[in-house]
Amino acid sequence: MNPQMALLWMIILPLGASPVAYMIGRLSYNRSKGLFGLARWVTLVTVMLTWIPLFFVGRAVVIDGPVSFKVGRIVMEMDGIGLLLSATVVLLGTLVTIFSLSYMKDEEGEEKYYALLPALCGMMIGLGCARDLFNLWVWFEGMAITSYLLVAFYRDQPGALEAGIKYLVQSAVGSVLVLFGISIIFLKAGTLDLVELREMASGFGPLGLAAGALFLAGFGVKAAMVPAHTWLPDAHSQAPSGISAMLSGVVIEAGLVAMLRALGVLSATSTAWGALLLMFGVLNMVVGNLMALRQTQVKRMLAYSSLAQVGYMLIGFGVSASYGLSNGAAGGFFHLFNHAMMKGLAFLAAGSLIYALYLSRGKHNPLMVEDLDGAAQRYPLTAFALSVALLALGGLPPLSGFMSKWQIFLAGAETRSTALLWLVIFAGLNSVLSLGYYAPLVNRMYRRQPSEAVKEGKPIAVSMALPMVAMLLFVVVLGFWPVWMSWLTAPAASSLLAGFGF
Amino acid sequence: MNYAALCIGLVIGLPWLGALLVWWAGDGRPRLQHTLAVLFSVAAGVAAALLIPLGSHETAVKISVGGAFGDFTFVPDGLGVFLAAIATVVGSLAVIFSVDYMKGEAQLGRYYAMILFFIGAMAGLVLTNNLFLIFLFWEITALTSYALISFYNDDPKAVAGGMKALIITQLGGVGLLAGALISYAYLGSFEVSVLLEKAEVLPESVLGILAFGFLIAAAAKSSQFPFQTWLPDAMEAPTPVSALIHAATMVNAGVYLLARFYPAFEGVPGWREAVMLVGMLSAVLSAIMALTAYDLKRVLAYSTVSQLGYMVYAVGAGGVFASQFHLFSHSIFKALLFLSAGAVIHAAGTRDMRQMGGLGKQMPVVRAVFVIGALALAGLPVLNGFWSKELILEAGLTGGPAWMLGVMIFTAGVTALYTFRCVYMVFYGQPAQNRHAHDAGMFMKIALIPLALGTLVSWLVVGPFGRLLEETLPFHGIHAHSLGDIALEIVKAPVTWIALGVIALGLAAWVLRKQLRLVSEPLQGVAGVSRSSFGFEFINRKVVDFTQQLAEDLRAGQTGVLSWNLLAIVVTLFVVIAILSLGV
Amino acid sequence: MIFNLINVVVVVTVGLVGIAIYGMLVSRNLMKIVVGLQLAVKAAMLAFILSGRLNGKIDEAQSLALTVIVTDTVVAVVALALVVQVRRKFGTLDIKAISTLRR
Repeated sequence: MNPQMALLWMIILPLGASPVAYMIGRLSYNRSKGLFGLARWVTLVTVMLTWIPLFFVGRAVVIDGPVSFKVGRIVMEMDGIGLLLSATVVLLGTLVTIFSLSYMKDEEGEEKYYALLPALCGMMIGLGCARDLFNLWVWFEGMAITSYLLVAFYRDQPGALEAGIKYLVQSAVGSVLVLFGISIIFLKAGTLDLVELREMASGFGPLGLAAGALFLAGFGVKAAMVPAHTWLPDAHSQAPSGISAMLSGVVIEAGLVAMLRALGVLSATSTAWGALLLMFGVLNMVVGNLMALRQTQVKRMLAYSSLAQVGYMLIGFGVSASYGLSNGAAGGFFHLFNHAMMKGLAFLAAGSLIYALYLSRGKHNPLMVEDLDGAAQRYPLTAFALSVALLALGGLPPLSGFMSKWQIFLAGAETRSTALLWLVIFAGLNSVLSLGYYAPLVNRMYRRQPSEAVKEGKPIAVSMALPMVAMLLFVVVLGFWPVWMSWLTAPAASSLLAGFGF
Repeated sequence: MNYAALCIGLVIGLPWLGALLVWWAGDGRPRLQHTLAVLFSVAAGVAAALLIPLGSHETAVKISVGGAFGDFTFVPDGLGVFLAAIATVVGSLAVIFSVDYMKGEAQLGRYYAMILFFIGAMAGLVLTNNLFLIFLFWEITALTSYALISFYNDDPKAVAGGMKALIITQLGGVGLLAGALISYAYLGSFEVSVLLEKAEVLPESVLGILAFGFLIAAAAKSSQFPFQTWLPDAMEAPTPVSALIHAATMVNAGVYLLARFYPAFEGVPGWREAVMLVGMLSAVLSAIMALTAYDLKRVLAYSTVSQLGYMVYAVGAGGVFASQFHLFSHSIFKALLFLSAGAVIHAAGTRDMRQMGGLGKQMPVVRAVFVIGALALAGLPVLNGFWSKELILEAGLTGGPAWMLGVMIFTAGVTALYTFRCVYMVFYGQPAQNRHAHDAGMFMKIALIPLALGTLVSWLVVGPFGRLLEETLPFHGIHAHSLGDIALEIVKAPVTWIALGVIALGLAAWVLRKQLRLVSEPLQGVAGVSRSSFGFEFINRKVVDFTQQLAEDLRAGQTGVLSWNLLAIVVTLFVVIAILSLGV
Repeated sequence: MIFNLINVVVVVTVGLVGIAIYGMLVSRNLMKIVVGLQLAVKAAMLAFILSGRLNGKIDEAQSLALTVIVTDTVVAVVALALVVQVRRKFGTLDIKAISTLRR
């Protein structure tokens, strides 16, 4: 398969599967259960088929550099960043789809779920490949719209509705800000192509700075930069667990990638972009960790910890954007991938416990911290998976989270700047703080006296355990041999550096 | 792959493989789990013992990883092989001891897997020559230590103790992290030998950050002043774990770190003094705390902190050899003390010494080995503790100020005093209860006897030990002497006799404690203060409370009201514009 | 000339944004917030047309604005659907009353 066609297929496959799955689901809804199952399998098979074009595109990108494809005036170009994002999306999408087979079984509106999930994946792949600002915005908006619907999926749950509408309004305000930024750039340059813009950027003057500020704040809403993060804990805790994993694992990171693309264009207008990213990184770490410290709901705690994890990525990217160090970007992207695996694993494990303890008995209770007591006895695999995910998030070796944090910190030290050294030390202290809420959860799961909920819990299906095992392998194996991901992170880092003009 | 590389691989790999197998065996098959754990830990011990004659300063294993992680290199030098041997040998004895001690406990898989995982990581920590790997293994040991302290997860004290140990050692770990990162940023390599060789190339301020960062890391790991509070709370762990991790091996990692990097940092202004001060304060404060504690394991924990203080002090005074020799002796006799204390606790069912008393008749073997360990701890000739402690005091005489030496000698007296108090309260005196305590089981004895023998004779190897360090540590400038020379030197040195006098005074103070009431009354106040660990618990609690309160207050910021959320977005925008327009 | 078309459009755009943001910040009614959001998007479209007019690429600007209209409509539909559901479940559109998820 030639890479250009493969790129096209990568976007078409998931987006095309979406209406097919929906229609099969709708048509068969009242007739036979047997046919309805087809909707699930359409989605699963399509997401798995996406691996094939991903392989061909990936090989071409790694060996020969960016692959581009032209439709009319729109150019889609897959570079290192796009590849990393797409690979993460497809991997997580596949695992979440498998997980959902039993998690979402017989929920009301299941066909919508299977229509929206591949659409979300397709939109994010498109976002990674966009090469002009407006196109970037369109994919971004498409991703946002699909995720609104998925967050508010349990539409008879008041909490889900509330989270959905709040998320929608905040995210939409963010994308309006981005639109204003784009129109300013369009005014100054008359073009929106990222490559052409980069050379013209130095002549933008103060309006260029304004556009950058709009991008930072606008995409920042989606990337959950403090203080524009307030939609995140609600949305993550109210969405179905598979969607929480997608939101936390790739959607907010896709916002981050969009922001980096847009800011990279403006790198010539100011030297402060990197410093601003660092500033937001610090804010995210502190606020995320402190907010998570006293949470009583597991999924809400995990949601806040996503803030802190985004903070680490921001620091890696910020160091790269200011100093041009490839370790920062590589570390940031490595952490992006690891975070998708670790946080995805944590959300899926929490989700399978929710399913076993509550959902399977028709209850929509949130999973409280106390419910984890003694979970290891009845659910050894799930408890082990959740423990590993939590400890990896806390940055303990030999797990993958440690490795990517190390790479980010190393980049900070490589600048030889005293301020950044202190920032790295501060980030390290934040990791210690985060253990203050991760570790007690692990302790709870290994108690001998199980909680009431665990005593009455139902068993966990194989299709839920399978994705957890896969992610567990990623978290552990990358912890032992971190350089296995550098084929993916190194091109992404060089794309980012090129984007920022280094 | 050469022979040394094979041994290094086995020392680290065997326990980790064992950990996997024990986990895989499952909690339904306790006999298999016991057997596997013993087999793999003993095999690792044998591999480590085989490694000792292979000691050299050449890199034995080099796995090129590159990038941000450097090359994974391992060097079987003197410091490395001897500490690896201690970790694996004491580790295997602790595992053997556990066969009796943990009989019938639930969740054995988690217990043994974590212990074996720890043994491998500890061996890796001391054998590697890569700062990144040192940090990695450092963190793994912290992780396993936390998991084992809070092994009894249902007990809130155990969980709190584990969390405290984890948080404090991790806080210190940030110092090591910063040091390793700086070293790479300026030297372009994670190799320890490169850092030792090119330390002068670094700018003075950078080297200072490095040196004090490592000191903070070491103090936190070795439970030294001002981080000394976590080790006593870590005593909630099963006793074999306390013996292995919190007495014989992991807590030594801090001393190891200081000793390993001493040549690079000795020229940093104020560093040696700071190290000596940290060691001295830990030694004397903990000794006083040991004097007033009633929990048998806490007494031993305080004494561990105090003895580690001696080692840290010795490094600061320039006596790397003395500190490592004391580390060697201490690992043996403290593991012995802890394990026999474990046997006592297992039999008596309590850790409170006030409820023991008169156990000696019922447990003659345990009493015998405990007394041997206690005499070594007190520093009485001719046990191993005597020789190494005198070496430290001599190093202090040549390398440090006189008043610090005075404090250390005073501490030796206090050490003798609390040791005898402890022995008396446990094994002699009036039986507090009429319970029948059984003597140690067979596996317990198998573990205790070699340690007791080691305590009696391990000082005989001082000559070869010195030669090993001298030959394989090119940057440390250690000069080996034969056993005879050292013995003669110690016997001739006046400081030895002063110290012995003070120890005798300490002994006398215990014997004459009733007559000394006049002196001991005013000490009651000190006892009260020392039970609250000189206010350090208070500081810890305040820091935790402050963080928790801050977190709780911050939660009010998540209003859940849409207008406030939108305002936050607008504010973000304007703040960014403001920063940009201020012209950065 | 102050009253030329360009100046008028600039004033209208800025004015719309101001009204939209003000409305969204002070209103407690969810419906009004969604209306404010729509106003803001309309202002953004005007901004595009304005940019195109100023740099002589009005045709491209128009195609961009059309795309914005399409996506914006979808957002509006989803938003209104959610508002309807919120009203059904909570019985009110007061954003203080529907702020059950906090802290």
